[in-house]
Amino acid sequence: MTAAWAIALLILSPLAAAALVFAFPRCGRWLALGTVAVVGGASVQLTWKVLTDGVQIHRVGGWGPPLGIDLRADGLSVLMLLITALIGLAVSLYAQRYFAAHESERPLPVNPDVAASRLSAAILDKDSVRRSAETPLRFKSPTRELVRGDRNPALHRERYFWPLFLFLWTALNALFLSADIFNLYVTLELLGFAAVTLVALAGKRAALTAALRYLFVSLTASLFYLLGVGLVYGQCATVDLASLAAKAQPGPALWVALALMTGGLIAKAALFPLHFWLPPAHANAPAPVSALLSALVVKGSFYILLRLWIEAFPALMTPPVAQLFGLLGAAAILWGSVNALVQSRLKLLIAYSTVAQLGYLFLLFPLAATPEGGFTAWSGGLIFLGAHACAKTAMFLTAGNILHAAGHDRIQDLDGMTHVLPVSVFAFGLAGMSLIGLPPSSGFAGKWLLLNAALAQGQWWWVAVMLLGSLLAAAYVARVLAHAFTRVEEPRKPHPIAPVMEWTALALALLAVGLGFASHGLAELLRVGAPVAGAMLLGGAAP
Amino acid sequence: MMRRISVGILSLALLAALSWAVLSLPAQPKGLTEASLARLPESGVSNPVTAVLLNYRGYDTLLEVGVLLLAIVGVWSLRRGEWPAADRRDRPLLLSLLRVVLPVLVLAAGYLLWIGAFAPGGAFQGGALLGGALVLVMLGGLARRLVNRAGLLRAGLGLGVLVFATVCAITLRLTGGLLQYPPGTGGTWIMVIESAALISIGLTLGLLYLGGRPEEDT
Repeated sequence: MTAAWAIALLILSPLAAAALVFAFPRCGRWLALGTVAVVGGASVQLTWKVLTDGVQIHRVGGWGPPLGIDLRADGLSVLMLLITALIGLAVSLYAQRYFAAHESERPLPVNPDVAASRLSAAILDKDSVRRSAETPLRFKSPTRELVRGDRNPALHRERYFWPLFLFLWTALNALFLSADIFNLYVTLELLGFAAVTLVALAGKRAALTAALRYLFVSLTASLFYLLGVGLVYGQCATVDLASLAAKAQPGPALWVALALMTGGLIAKAALFPLHFWLPPAHANAPAPVSALLSALVVKGSFYILLRLWIEAFPALMTPPVAQLFGLLGAAAILWGSVNALVQSRLKLLIAYSTVAQLGYLFLLFPLAATPEGGFTAWSGGLIFLGAHACAKTAMFLTAGNILHAAGHDRIQDLDGMTHVLPVSVFAFGLAGMSLIGLPPSSGFAGKWLLLNAALAQGQWWWVAVMLLGSLLAAAYVARVLAHAFTRVEEPRKPHPIAPVMEWTALALALLAVGLGFASHGLAELLRVGAPVAGAMLLGGAAP
Repeated sequence: MMRRISVGILSLALLAALSWAVLSLPAQPKGLTEASLARLPESGVSNPVTAVLLNYRGYDTLLEVGVLLLAIVGVWSLRRGEWPAADRRDRPLLLSLLRVVLPVLVLAAGYLLWIGAFAPGGAFQGGALLGGALVLVMLGGLARRLVNRAGLLRAGLGLGVLVFATVCAITLRLTGGLLQYPPGTGGTWIMVIESAALISIGLTLGLLYLGGRPEEDT
């Protein structure tokens, strides 16, 4: 398989599979597993090519910039593709059983909200029956439809999960391979719509509200990004990422363009203070969806920010801009962690933890912008990204298991969970270890490199923030574990749960820890085509 | 009140920033117009818009056709559609209008598809006409059985993406480049992609009118 085929398969196979799954809904599970195999093979092949032959460029249509679009795979791209493939694999296995497991779901207690809307729907309906004599165009009230649900909601959700998941995967692969800022906008559109619809798939009122808010944020952010692309094209007459660096002359148009694009992207990446949509959306989505959103979707926007500021417009990356990114990141770490600490529901805690962990990624801007230790920060930040993706997926899958087995995710009532779901609780603990940054986990490796870079550059204030963040992470992880490990006299009888749902969570948690041992190899991979230079500063002890 | 004032201030700031940026842009934009016109003969079509959409930046369009399919998948996942009450006797005017308009719409959609190679037109414009025709059919309460055939509709909706992706794979096999048409055959491949896209776009736009999945669907 040549690099061109690998690149093509990474985009075409999930896209074609999405269309096929939609056309033949019964084959969803099998087509998804087939896509996992093809995309996994193509990612590994492309990684190999990048390691041996350097950066791979594919000129779509054979035109090349400025007329055509380039697809480009360097170390950063293939690392993101590999992470996506891994999470995709785990989620495909987990979702094989997740939706079916909820088939036997007990009916939710009717809360006054639903009762009221039922009543109003009934009244509306009576009215419309009376009116139907005069008005032949009659539409049923939408409220009733939402409340009434479907004959088989579990089957319905699973049937629609597969195509939406495959679209999300297409968007991510296309995003990580694109070297064209307009094409990136198209991938963002695909990514945003797939993500919003997946949140709404949960079907509950809270999920629909969260999804709608997410949609508004996502759409507005996309428009801001597009406005920026328009200004960049007007100024530089190209939308190719690689040629922008040479043509970019700092001036009002580019400053405004970058401000707009950055504003849009940090809203999509849920960086403080534009994180408000994330906790409800991630906490109310079905478990495999929460995992995808936290592990991958928010990182897509972060990836574009890296490409824009560090590769395409390094001339505009002045120290104040870099420090501003760092400042927002630091605020996110503190705000997210403190909020995670006070949550009473497990999924909300994990979602706020995502807000906090995303903050660390933005410390990469002030730390990688300086030549001294730049590459150390670059690889540290990106290893941290991989660590967070694995750990957060493991946590959300675990939360899904707990929610299913216990019927709730109230942290206070998790006592005795170790009797019920030992594997899941163990997975949560391991993932928590990586989130806190305990050695030898990959979370530690990433933080260690970031710390070394900060110390080498004398930017000690980021060190203080990172340490405080780790302390808070230790507190919120310990809070969950303390409840889960409490002994109870009579363990409650849980809903039975498919073993694959527990083991996929554990596998990812083990990976979050084990990747720490591979951090040297990951750094070598990231060196291919890296926009920052510098030696690897390992400080006192190698991670 | 505070909220309105802050929204107003933010909007004014955005307006000021945008005006500042736009006024600073070069008065004679360099753009890519000349470059794209210069290579138009190689593209296989003589309409520059079609050349950009399906040749120079055909990959963008592949993903956009995906976005359209995603839109209908998303809407279908949310809820069941509402069929406008079908009472033919109520609408004699609409029905006699349909008799004239429907064939013309379908013909016009095909014409727009074909003319897209030379003049403004193409799959999106033709698809919009087909979508309109489908809405009229549903308003007339006609073809209800057909429109509820979920399996058939799903295949038709996915057709555009599938054909487009297949063409990508074939061109990669033939020339070693995604969407790099063998010299001189660009026009044919573009017509193949656009014909499939026309059907999917028309179905998508028309079915979005139902606001949900057909009744037969799970």
